[in-house]
Amino acid sequence: MRKFVFVACAIACLSTPVVAHHSFAAEFDITKPVTLTGKVTKIEWTNPHAYLFIDVQDAQSGAVTNWEIEMGSPNGLTRLGWTRTLVKAGDMVTVEGSMGRNKPNLANARSVVMTATGKKLGAASSEATQ
Amino acid sequence: MRTFVVGGLTVLAAAAGFAQTARGTLAGTVTLRDTAVPAVTVEVKNQLTNAVLTATTEKSGRYKLTDLPEGVYEVSIPPLGIAAGRFVQKDVAIKAGETTALDIALKQGNLATLGDDNGFFAIHNNSQGVRGPAPRTRDGHPDLSGVWNVNLDPHPTPASLLPWAEGVMKERRETNFRDQPSGFCLPDDPTPTLPLLRRFVYTPTMLVQLFEQEPHYRQIFLDGREHPRDADPTWMGHAVGRWEKDTLVVDTTGFNDKSWVLFAEGLPHTDKLHMIERYRRPDLGHLVVDLTLDDPATFAKPIERHMTWQLAPKDEVLESICTENNKYQQNAGIQ
Repeated sequence: MRKFVFVACAIACLSTPVVAHHSFAAEFDITKPVTLTGKVTKIEWTNPHAYLFIDVQDAQSGAVTNWEIEMGSPNGLTRLGWTRTLVKAGDMVTVEGSMGRNKPNLANARSVVMTATGKKLGAASSEATQ
Repeated sequence: MRTFVVGGLTVLAAAAGFAQTARGTLAGTVTLRDTAVPAVTVEVKNQLTNAVLTATTEKSGRYKLTDLPEGVYEVSIPPLGIAAGRFVQKDVAIKAGETTALDIALKQGNLATLGDDNGFFAIHNNSQGVRGPAPRTRDGHPDLSGVWNVNLDPHPTPASLLPWAEGVMKERRETNFRDQPSGFCLPDDPTPTLPLLRRFVYTPTMLVQLFEQEPHYRQIFLDGREHPRDADPTWMGHAVGRWEKDTLVVDTTGFNDKSWVLFAEGLPHTDKLHMIERYRRPDLGHLVVDLTLDDPATFAKPIERHMTWQLAPKDEVLESICTENNKYQQNAGIQ
């Protein structure tokens, strides 16, 4: 007999206070997600965090704002398959993350996608099991 | 404060059912960012009897538990480094003769800053297939040397704190753990619980530990010396070790009271803190670490943590100079 069983449940989202390299919540507000598409103007491949700077144009006014995007450490990014030259000035990227709390035009990056190719950077390449 | 956001449960229609008496099957795939996660433990607890069964994911991320008595279960996966917090899904019904399909999409931890989990899963996946006996040194003891991927206690008992320490924790939570020492490029935590790579260099007279956060090294003296009397308190304390059969027992005292102990908890302590670590290498690929923290001036009773770390033979401890470009104070609005 073939049956279909559905696991009827809500998404299990747990929130556990966690301390790591430094406090995330002191810098960023998880309740304020942001998606930004823009041209890379600079990358800081530095510790304790790497940063992307991107020019984002407002769709209505045309005004351009330079955003500072915080990522993990170069060591962590390297293990996800990044290199210091993976993203270059002039590349168009789309960043998803959370807004900074204390500084305008600051966000963290939960994901970075190369706009030209749709490739999600650091998502899977070095995490594959093969 | 860092928050692990866990979940993203994909609900699938079941695959083939099996006509068995009062037994069912649970099966699915565990992924993180669309990538299969091998060698993680899926725990399945019967909510009526509390009986626990476990399965380990295969290389493809698949897991399967057959012969589960019909009933309602809690499915969970313990935290995995900084990469992913605990996954818990309650009220999963297992029916006789049927397969319940439960695909689990772990969410990146640390509020998902890309690269902030230090590549835990990349290291984890690089480390599969390590087999063999623990190596031994010429003095006959297990050689603890190697690069270890530090992982957390899968089932930590909550720390029991004295009232003053509870007050400190309340303030830390209310200020989003803003004053955590590592934000200022100071050492966070003398306990070996930061889920980063930790290289052990074992010699008969000293165990050296190297890691990617301040102060980047730790010396454990194995030459029979005692703790010094009335030494200046330090961030990492004074550590001496001795062998008890195949277990290296490390005793550390002489701490200052500035660090926040136990990763993910950030607990206060006094300079009376006393740490005992017990290290065993049961085979080539694993290090079993039992930790006891005692501080009668802070903890109502000693805290214990039990961890199993995985050898990371393809990875290295890399340089990490925090003061190079630390924008934390500026970005956190600290004057």
